[in-house]
Amino acid sequence: MARTAMARETICALRREIARIEGTLPEPLAMPGGQGSDVLRHGGMAARRAAAAGVLETGVARFDAALGGGVPLAALIEIHGRQTRDAGAAAGFALALAALVRKEESGRRRPLLWIGGRDLFREAGNPYAPGLERLFGVEADAFLFCAARHLADALWAAEEAARVDELCAVILEVRGNPARLDLTATRRLHRRAQEAGRPVLLLREWALAEPTAAPLRLEVGAAPAAPRATLAAPLEGTIGHPAFAVAIGKSRAGLQESFVVEWNPDALSLREVRPARARAVVPASGHRPHPAQAGGAVVALRRASVPSAPGGQPPREGRSAHRRPRRTG
Amino acid sequence: MHPSLAIVEADPQADRRLLEEIAEWCDRYTPLVALDGADGLFLDITGCAHLFGGEQAMMRDILSRLLSQGFDARAGLASCPGAAWAVARFSGPAIVPPGAERQALAPLPLSALRIDARARAGLQGVGLHTVGAILDAPRAPLVRRFGAGLVRRLDQALGQAEEAICPRRPAPPLSVERQLAEPIMQVEEIEALSHRLALTLRQELERRGEGADALQLSLFRVDGAVHRLVVRTARPVRDPAAIRRLFREKLAATGEELDTGYGFELVRLSVLEASPFAIVQTDLAGESREAEAALALFADRLAARLGETALRRPVPVESHVPERAVRMVPFAAGQQKKPAQGPAGGERPIRLFARPEPVDVVAAEVPEGPPLRFRWRRATYHVARAEGPERLAPEWWREMEDAPERDYFRIEDAEGRRFWLFRQGLYGAVAEAPRWFMHGIFA
Repeated sequence: MARTAMARETICALRREIARIEGTLPEPLAMPGGQGSDVLRHGGMAARRAAAAGVLETGVARFDAALGGGVPLAALIEIHGRQTRDAGAAAGFALALAALVRKEESGRRRPLLWIGGRDLFREAGNPYAPGLERLFGVEADAFLFCAARHLADALWAAEEAARVDELCAVILEVRGNPARLDLTATRRLHRRAQEAGRPVLLLREWALAEPTAAPLRLEVGAAPAAPRATLAAPLEGTIGHPAFAVAIGKSRAGLQESFVVEWNPDALSLREVRPARARAVVPASGHRPHPAQAGGAVVALRRASVPSAPGGQPPREGRSAHRRPRRTG
Repeated sequence: MHPSLAIVEADPQADRRLLEEIAEWCDRYTPLVALDGADGLFLDITGCAHLFGGEQAMMRDILSRLLSQGFDARAGLASCPGAAWAVARFSGPAIVPPGAERQALAPLPLSALRIDARARAGLQGVGLHTVGAILDAPRAPLVRRFGAGLVRRLDQALGQAEEAICPRRPAPPLSVERQLAEPIMQVEEIEALSHRLALTLRQELERRGEGADALQLSLFRVDGAVHRLVVRTARPVRDPAAIRRLFREKLAATGEELDTGYGFELVRLSVLEASPFAIVQTDLAGESREAEAALALFADRLAARLGETALRRPVPVESHVPERAVRMVPFAAGQQKKPAQGPAGGERPIRLFARPEPVDVVAAEVPEGPPLRFRWRRATYHVARAEGPERLAPEWWREMEDAPERDYFRIEDAEGRRFWLFRQGLYGAVAEAPRWFMHGIFA
């Protein structure tokens, strides 16, 4: 019993140390009572600016509550799309967040930068300004696109862009789980976002969850849209406002929940679609596991370098025979 | 033949390349270097000689440096290209003072006049072998007999007729350079030097009220090779720190390709293009201008490192064909006039494939309607709902007359993904069944 208490004490001390370094919100974990339960924070300028930047309230009450107030503004935010064909949904949700950020700072109208690899844009489609303009209220001349040849170039561009005050948000789109996008690279991006007080949205297509420095990971899939609303009644058979199935894969608050949200392009706002009201929300994830469980399915701290095939086949079992517990007797 | 004689076949192209390399190297003396035939170079040193200690010293410097590189060169210096050409080829290193062309040219053979072989043979046939023999001859019979070319060449050699040389590259409006006693090899040193050169450049740019739109850093290596790095900017710059940062990205992008060898002994920073630099007083808030400049600098650095076309912005175009409705222009191209908004079309996807991808439609309810099932990238999709068609006719003023129409459908599959499909052509209009394509993805 005493050993457990000691271990808890050590873990809490380490957590406090990490929180101090990162300048984060208090952990929602029970602290052992007594002295030392207050976390003394004297993080640098970055932490103070990050705290001042606050959170972005998405307008979906349950989602905001699960994130502890809203999406952090000064942070690296990972948005995962499971497959390349989900690129529309994942990019759509990332842009919805960016559009909300832009809506908040009414008047300044800063441009939005979208960085991606050339091959990725070829595979998942180039950003199309007329559609983006209509859906997210961002004028065509407020968009900047950067197609980098290599991931190293894209990362460099994203880091530099995170420092430019004239951009309202930076979207970095990456495909798969490249080795270069590791803990160090994401930490650099996160620090830049903290210093700038603006989000860097790391949009990942066809990627497995892996340890990164991003405090928030959202897994976004497609969800059937509600029919178009008319004055009389919803018009059956039509495709209305876009909807996304969003699951919290990792967050400070540690709650793993999933939501179906709908983006309203006219009001530029998100709202939750209750399963009872929406049509056929249940098969949103089809034959594959529900996104909510996916975050937990990944073995912690093991580098997920082999993404699963698009067909939904599980990655090859990495454990070889000789590593199994040997039976002696 | 002598047994130890090595015989190498003539390679005029390699000779040409070598001559161009030497011309590149001569750039250190003057920006106006022109090629002359297969074996000569013209250097217009007007206003440059004093930088090298006078004409005599300059010529000696050029010749000795070329000799140390293994070239046996001859030089002549005169106030007009014709006389310099003649002196360089026929009387060794010599300087012809202005006005002394006649005396210098008189003893030279007729070949020194750059005249064609027929005229020369004709003159020699009548016993005229030197330039001096025809200098004072009456002009009219010469023109009648040998054409106007001979007299023109004569006038050019004497400096009585204008002759222009064609420099290989335009002379930059502004250049700053530094000769280094000790060659530099480190990239950091080059960066630091570009900063110092830019400091000097700024004074001159300020005096002119201009900023640089394109800058070139020329690095002259000890062994004669020349590297040139060019950066372009979205708006005129003159800030040395900004210029240094641009060249840092350029040097980082060049990376291994920049072979420093034994180091660079001369570094020159040139302004290739300049435009008026608008000095704007910031408002009391003092933000917007600086922020805009910061964005422009970011774009320039991105362009220097990733290429001119890395950062682009969409510009709407008046066209209803989806792939033509927007054009991506490099950021540096600047703000352009916004075209009037075209007719409001239907919903547009947020991602558009560069080329529409073929789709196999397995089943459709009615031929003209949306598909029920289709295969795209080897996966089958079941269509849950569809909107459409939105028929887009081809632009007849661009395409062939019988280009097929496209019927666009907005489709949602059973899992909620929304796609933009189109059918090219109509059933019955052509012999084979119309084909389907995937063109975009909706949010």
